[in-house]
Parts: sequence; structure tokens; C-alpha cells
Amino acid sequence: MANKKLTLALFSGSVDKLTAAGVILGGAAAEDMDVDIFVLLQAAFAFKKENAMVNDRVSEITDKKDEFLASLDRLNTPHWTEAFKTAKEMTNVKIHICGFAGKVWHGEKLEDFIDLADDICGIGEYMTSAEEADINLFI
Amino acid sequence: MNAEELTQVKVDKSVDARGTSCPGPLLAAKKAIGQIEKGQVMEVLSADEGTRRDIPKWCNKKGFEYLGTIEESGFFKILLRK
Repeated sequence: MANKKLTLALFSGSVDKLTAAGVILGGAAAEDMDVDIFVLLQAAFAFKKENAMVNDRVSEITDKKDEFLASLDRLNTPHWTEAFKTAKEMTNVKIHICGFAGKVWHGEKLEDFIDLADDICGIGEYMTSAEEADINLFI
Repeated sequence: MNAEELTQVKVDKSVDARGTSCPGPLLAAKKAIGQIEKGQVMEVLSADEGTRRDIPKWCNKKGFEYLGTIEESGFFKILLRK
């Protein structure tokens, strides 16, 4: 039987939503789902090599950012890049950088992004993936 | 299987995931299940409340037999048979 498929349109470049995406990826990995992640606009900023580890922006409850980040540490929560890496090691996860999003953040080539990224693509690939997916999420 | 029977089950592999939060225990179980043979029993130790609900559902989807959960002080022992 073919694996179920999760397609994730990842728009957010903030660590709170990226961490949530990492948790969902963990669930998908546990169930051997195939996963396509499309890195859109603000997420492409977070995926730039120079930003991934130093970007600490949050998008919700911003006045409690310090408490939120401290809690992630207290709970031994892996950095989102680590959660994504673990999911890639455990199941078939492909990470596609939207070409337009890359250019917005001056990332023209795959090498401009963290090694987790597999390719640069257009919206047509997202549409095809979303049509085939059992679960389609926008974060 | 009642609580007393659960404590008598011979465990072939123990996975201590008490230091991790969701989805850490589930991923630890997924990693470890490949290290036991069909018919063997694994226990997952977790302090994460969600895991005691996740593991039975995961077992159901993956075709493993969920045996039950033993509540210890501050953590759970979740038993399953591959």
C-alpha cells in the first residue's frame, strides 16, 4: 500500500510556527508519510543559510517571546531545523524552495539555503502535490 | 490485559523518552521498533501526557498490538507488541 502524503505550504518564517511545523513533521515521520514542503515567502527568509540559526522572530503572542523561547529550551525542544532533519532521516521528506520567495530574500541558488532544502521550484509543483495529498496544510 | 498482567509482561526492549516532549517519545518508539522482532514487546517510558494517547493510535495504524499503559510516579510505561 502506498504511503499517505502530507503537503505543507510553509509560509511563516517565525520560530513559533516553524516549531509547530516540526512537531507535525514528527507525526508524519512516525506514520511513514511522504511529505512535500513548499517554502513560501517569509519561510524562505528563515531557510537562508545566514538566518536559520539566528532568526528568533515569533509571530504570535510576541510580548511573551522570551518566555516562549525559554520554555522551548526547558522542554528540550529541538530547534526547528533539527526537527526537520530528523523527519527527513525517518521518512521521505522533500523540501522545495519557491523560486519567487528565494528571490525576495536574494536567494537565487539552492546553495543560498540550508542543506535541508532539496530544490527550487514553481507553484505548479505545489498544485500537483496538493492535488495528490491526503493532508494539505498551510502554516 | 489488566494492570497486574501488564506488570508481568516480559519486555524485550525499553525506550526511555522521558527527557523529550511531543513528538519525541513517538519518534523514539518509531526508531526503536525496527530493532525488535515481530512478536517481541517494547515499552516506551514517557512523561508526556499526549504520548499515552498517541502510541495506541500509532499501534493501530502500523499494525502493532497495544498492550496497555502502567502509570508510574511522574511518567508512563506504555507497552506494545510488534
